[in-house]
Amino acid sequence: MRHTNFALALLTAAALTACGGSSPTGGDQTLKTKFSAQVSFGDSLSDIGTYAVGIVKASGGGQYNINGDNTAKNTVLTGKNWTELLAAQFGLPAPCPAQTGLEGDPSKGMSVPITNHPGCYNYAQGGSRVTNPIGPGNKATGSPLGQMTVPVVTQVASHLAVSGGKFKGDELVTVLAGGNDVLMQLGQLSAEATAAGKAEGDKVGAQTFAISLATQLAAGATNPMTAFQAITVAIATESARPGRTDQSVVQAAVTAAATQPGNMAVASPAVYGPMVVKAQADATAAGTAAGAKAGADYAAANGPKLVAALGTAGAELAALVKTQIVGKGANFVVVNNVPDVANTPSGKAQSAAAQELIKAMVNAFNTQLKNGLGDDPRILYVDLFSVSHDQAINPAPYGLTNVTTPACGPNVLGTSSLVCNASNVIAGDVSHYMFADDVHPTPFEYSLVARYVATQMMIKGWL
Amino acid sequence: MKVRLNSAVKILGLAAAMAFAGAASAQSAGQWTVKFGVDKLTPKVESDNFSAPALPSSKADIGSNTQPVLIFDYGMTDNVSAELAVGTPYKHKIYGAGAIAGVGQLGSVKALPPTAFLQYRFFQPTAQVRPFVGLGATFAYFMKETGSGRLTTLTNPGGGSPTTFSLENKLAYSLQAGVAVNLNQRWLADVAFVKTKLSTTAHFSTGQFQHLKLDPEAIMVTVGYKF
Repeated sequence: MRHTNFALALLTAAALTACGGSSPTGGDQTLKTKFSAQVSFGDSLSDIGTYAVGIVKASGGGQYNINGDNTAKNTVLTGKNWTELLAAQFGLPAPCPAQTGLEGDPSKGMSVPITNHPGCYNYAQGGSRVTNPIGPGNKATGSPLGQMTVPVVTQVASHLAVSGGKFKGDELVTVLAGGNDVLMQLGQLSAEATAAGKAEGDKVGAQTFAISLATQLAAGATNPMTAFQAITVAIATESARPGRTDQSVVQAAVTAAATQPGNMAVASPAVYGPMVVKAQADATAAGTAAGAKAGADYAAANGPKLVAALGTAGAELAALVKTQIVGKGANFVVVNNVPDVANTPSGKAQSAAAQELIKAMVNAFNTQLKNGLGDDPRILYVDLFSVSHDQAINPAPYGLTNVTTPACGPNVLGTSSLVCNASNVIAGDVSHYMFADDVHPTPFEYSLVARYVATQMMIKGWL
Repeated sequence: MKVRLNSAVKILGLAAAMAFAGAASAQSAGQWTVKFGVDKLTPKVESDNFSAPALPSSKADIGSNTQPVLIFDYGMTDNVSAELAVGTPYKHKIYGAGAIAGVGQLGSVKALPPTAFLQYRFFQPTAQVRPFVGLGATFAYFMKETGSGRLTTLTNPGGGSPTTFSLENKLAYSLQAGVAVNLNQRWLADVAFVKTKLSTTAHFSTGQFQHLKLDPEAIMVTVGYKF
């Protein structure tokens, strides 16, 4: 009987446990590590408002993002960068830009004094490279925007200068750079290849024009061979004369042709006119083909140099992290590698050969970065490349609805996401697009980056 | 919890000692038996992926838990019996798996799976060892689903609201095989293995969901008293 009582008591206890508040709760939100601050170095992918001044601010911009809190429109349109999301998740104050300003065209509202902000530890700036001070948008490139593009090496030095030359050890440090080294080098190569292609195309085009025109003009002469020689000499002579024009060259050729025995008829515009048109068509065709080939040859010949340069940049970033961040006392350093630039709208707009080159450049950078960082409990190497690559080819599980079209429409800076906001995005629901402009993420994509980085931090045992 | 387990072990020991004391007896038609012991419940989880937005192949795993179990058994005939197994809630820890393996514990849930069995017992009621098989109906009642900072970090970093989740309660069927050893006229020891076919769906406050095939396996070790 005692047993029965005990059993009934147990049953009652079970029933009571069941009834005592059974609704779901969020549970303990404390994470393993309580960071004292967040310090971010890098480029536009981490920039939270370096250029949110002047015309940029007036146009409702400031981040390379879809700017502004548009959560009323769609909950994912937070306007927040991944560094802001992580800071919020880790219970840290909202990060602020360590420096603001613009060094561009005053007449366009793009010249605003550079101001340093004590206590703000997000040093990332749009356009920044690893060590080279001139990145995309810098005034030295002729850009009217005049981004400061302070390189990461200087960003780190600036932080050390205001923190007694060291990290405290309990900061979360984030590093993300290298993308602008790819874009800048590629832009230079592209310009040089285009110039080389144009020079070769012009040369081949001129030769083809002379031969085609001379051949046609000489055809009616009693002795076409002699006529051809006379005409080409006339073209060469006139072409070499200062002050010559296309018309004067044609006229010299026609005059030389008409003076040949039996060839007076070509002096008539009705006769030589069509010949000139055909010669021009021949020249264009040959010049375009030769130019394209020369441009491609130039790019192919110089591509390996770019790959090597990116490898160097990757090694430089690794060394910087090792000696100036970890070496100065940081214990929690997140280093993201360069995402899949070839699969951005910018990359996809390039030729197949250029896309291969981009892949090789990014790979060289990431390989050197990873190898340089090695295996260190204080460094978390996050493979943003692989996840961004996977997103581009397998978007559905990530909740991405479009991975090819930029969400931002035309604005005062062209199509740059720096001044992109809810009022100038393209029509339709762009909330779950991957890209804001041709290289930068939307707030939703930034949230995916934040999740991925945080997941890797959990696996590392930091959270 | 610890105290209860210890007392259960003591009872088992006592029962074993008594095994040599008396002659084997019946569990026969019209007889009530109450059994008490422990039940280790181990979900054999096959999780679908977290629904979007998530890293592909983000899965979940659920740990085992041991709780006291109380079983009421009624002999309908000498060979057919009906059982009702009840117990204190099982507290299961939920971990990340698949692509998010290594993130650690993401949450916990309490489960009450009261199960009613219809059993067939072999041999005569007087046999000392009586194997049995059973077919059961389990009502899996999930409660106290509790998230964590990690779950929030994984699903909604910086969103400002902790992520919660709930599991759908489910009716499932169970298969049972076991053996009862009559220790004397009143006492018996009983070991049973129960496989339950149970699938449910977790719904997260972020709008995500995840199908989970739990298919728990239970090992129950009890001592019983026949009235």
